[in-house]
Amino acid sequence: MLSPIDLTVRQESSLLGRTNPVVKLAVALVWLVGLALIRDPVRPLVLALAAIVAGLVLGRIPRAKLIAGLAPLVAAAGSIALANLVFAAANTDPFAHEIARVGPLRLTAEAIVGASAIGARVVAIVATGVVFAQTTDPTRLVDALVQHARVPERFAYGALAAYRAVPQLGQDLGTLRQARRIRGVAGTWHPKLLVGLLVRAIRHADQLALAMDARAFGVGPRTTYRPVGRHWRDVIVAFGGAAIIVALVVG
Amino acid sequence: MYSKELGMTSTPTTPASTATSGGTSSAAESRWRTRDILVAAVIGVAFGVVFWAWGLAWGLFAPLNAARDLLYAVWLVPAVLAPLVIRKPGAALFAELVAAGVSALLGSAWGPDTLLSGFVQGAAAELIFAFTLYRLWSFPVLSLAAVASAAAAWLHDWVLYYQDVAIDVQLIRGLAMAVSAVVIVAAGSLALARSLRRAGVLEGFPTDG
Repeated sequence: MLSPIDLTVRQESSLLGRTNPVVKLAVALVWLVGLALIRDPVRPLVLALAAIVAGLVLGRIPRAKLIAGLAPLVAAAGSIALANLVFAAANTDPFAHEIARVGPLRLTAEAIVGASAIGARVVAIVATGVVFAQTTDPTRLVDALVQHARVPERFAYGALAAYRAVPQLGQDLGTLRQARRIRGVAGTWHPKLLVGLLVRAIRHADQLALAMDARAFGVGPRTTYRPVGRHWRDVIVAFGGAAIIVALVVG
Repeated sequence: MYSKELGMTSTPTTPASTATSGGTSSAAESRWRTRDILVAAVIGVAFGVVFWAWGLAWGLFAPLNAARDLLYAVWLVPAVLAPLVIRKPGAALFAELVAAGVSALLGSAWGPDTLLSGFVQGAAAELIFAFTLYRLWSFPVLSLAAVASAAAAWLHDWVLYYQDVAIDVQLIRGLAMAVSAVVIVAAGSLALARSLRRAGVLEGFPTDG
């Protein structure tokens, strides 16, 4: 459950898997901005479909993984759409077209269109995120951020070293919960678990920092073990991604 | 103690900065030791895991509707907790971005928007700490930073997720988020930092004495 996403060799060697992660990140963020400008339910779904097809074909994401990744989408999109539907400004607008009345709540056609547009926007955002996460190796992402996006290397690699602790944190959490259960404390989830988890995490950080300092981390110039090169496929993904969102926003 | 030795080894040129500095900060202390980076990063990573789980649960809180925003500030804790512990310029932004990035890589429900959200939330808190020159860490300052972070999140969510919602509901949401920020982020971070200090893992970090 709580483990960093494992990419198969097929995913890593796919076109999207080998694309510079900074390019993919840029495309995802530009799509996000484009989505904020789109205000109908259809175009975001087209974008979501484009992302999913790209993930399956260009990213070779196994279908089961994609579906599992998309599952939280239902609750996320549903809850956001519901909030927009119930609290829509259009519902109190006397000129809006009334569709139904549920108790004190007046539902209008305008509110339904607006809510489904925003629900579709969430669907597109989630789909983009799943395809990005399922085609991007975190280490390569950090390499690319340092080499191509000028992210300070001490912070980038420090964060990556800390990220490696995620499976350990999951195990620690399990141990802490078992310890509570042995002591007979009722309730499996408690905010105090967070204190224990942070204590373990900070001890781990201290050890990592000591080990990294001992190897002269961040002192002097750095050599690159895994260069993330520039390639024609980066250009294609960048232009393809830009073309899709421009066509959708303008069209 | 182990952690004091660590401080000595990581900053051989400024041994003074390894001692607890009584809440003040000077130019020499604004440089991040490796330990500062790693501790801020693990706070970010731990909350990234929390965010990921919280994001999955968030949709299930939908029946609470606007009252759900009383729980919103869980997303904002690293932007105040990390600077409170580290007391270095940039800690709020760094920890919040790491947390957002980790939850995105774990498969967050919000995809690329986690990064944008993390950026605006961290940057808003950072701004308040910068105004104090990273010298004031009292409850009112932490509350101000938490509310600033919540305000940034509120604007961001308005534009992206609640575009059609009526203005009075937006204001109620904002109020709920501000209350949530003061209680969960400011008071919560103080309580967490106190617990961590009592557990002995924050030796070598500044305290208020």
